[in-house]
Amino acid sequence: MRQNLLQKVFIFTFVIIATWSCEKDDICATSTPTTPHLIILFNDINAPDAAKNARRLSVRGFDANNVEISEQIIANIDTDSIALPLRFEGETPTTSRFILEKDTDFFLDDDPLTNSNIDIITVNYTPEFVYVSQACGYKSIFTNLSISVEPDADNWIFNSEVLNITVENETQAHIILRH
Amino acid sequence: MKHKHTSYCVISFMLLMFVSLTSVSQNNTITEQDTITYKQKYGLRLGIDISKPIRSFLDEDYTGLEINGDYRLTKRIYLAGELGTEELTNTTEYLDVTTKGSYFKAGVDYNFYRNWLDMENMIYGGFRVGVSAFSQTLNGFTVYNTDQYYEAPFTSTESQEFNGLSAIWAEMIIGMKVEVLNNIYVGLNAQLKGRITEDKPENFGNLFIPGFNKVFDSGRFGIGFGYNVSYLIPIYNKDKKVVLGQE
Repeated sequence: MRQNLLQKVFIFTFVIIATWSCEKDDICATSTPTTPHLIILFNDINAPDAAKNARRLSVRGFDANNVEISEQIIANIDTDSIALPLRFEGETPTTSRFILEKDTDFFLDDDPLTNSNIDIITVNYTPEFVYVSQACGYKSIFTNLSISVEPDADNWIFNSEVLNITVENETQAHIILRH
Repeated sequence: MKHKHTSYCVISFMLLMFVSLTSVSQNNTITEQDTITYKQKYGLRLGIDISKPIRSFLDEDYTGLEINGDYRLTKRIYLAGELGTEELTNTTEYLDVTTKGSYFKAGVDYNFYRNWLDMENMIYGGFRVGVSAFSQTLNGFTVYNTDQYYEAPFTSTESQEFNGLSAIWAEMIIGMKVEVLNNIYVGLNAQLKGRITEDKPENFGNLFIPGFNKVFDSGRFGIGFGYNVSYLIPIYNKDKKVVLGQE
């Protein structure tokens, strides 16, 4: 009897162990902070600390060959803050350029007398890869952040300020543009 | 097994007759004649964890071997230990890592199973302290980026090696060992582990620790299973006395 019981326990345990898959699903949770966006705020040039909507704003980026990407990051909305993806191909100093097009609706309408206003900003930074977890692997943060607005005949962005020279998270803004 | 049952019946029957005889004589004290003596083997049991070579054969990302042994100290207590080596390559969408190293575990097993007659099977619980020395090689990684605006996310294929890592953990083990042939045992066990210390490589983490198995990001606990085949080298015998009527 006891020997029988022993055999039963043995077989039972064997089956339990053999069928128990202990591989937990390793999925990177969306709540985990990974590679951050660059957060830009728009403030009023006349009241430097007050937010001011950029009217009908559209934003596009450039690819590695500095060719404009037709897909929009932001498409024709009124907003006082934007989140932009930064390009990286290693841990060497990198530049991302963005087209910030204000009054997009004036470009889209049929009126030849009104048009949108395009400004291009240049963002320089150094990507740094930081280990997050098994599921998420590495994220990139960005250090030594700097920004400039490319001058043209009719800039709508008058002034820029770097609030945080390190882009580490998305909880606070990194850059203020005043217009 | 069958003839053991039979012999048990015969012996019990004889004992029963003996008991009835002695009871007739109204003798309440236990004398030498009231006990039956069995030989109990004491010795060193050596084996391997067969799941590791089998996995090495089936899974090209894994190679491992473990030698285990126990030494019977008393009727129920065994000194036990494991010595092994493992290599595992872990590839996910974002990481490609090879961990390589060896481990040693030592502790004590306690046999809960009350064997009858001359059998020496085990259902046991025990504890171990484990230590592992290992290295991790990051073969490559893809930076995690939720934003897919630009081309494919950046992938690094530069190999980085993190050497001289170590970890210490404690584990509780439960298992069983059954004698299938004379002196040959098969066993299985489950281990619950808790990390005490671990060297974390700089700007990286341990995904796997030899002997400890998978490292969970969520905590210090780990699990493991073993399937053993072992051979008992009998060193000496001890008599086990079975008192009549008290089996």
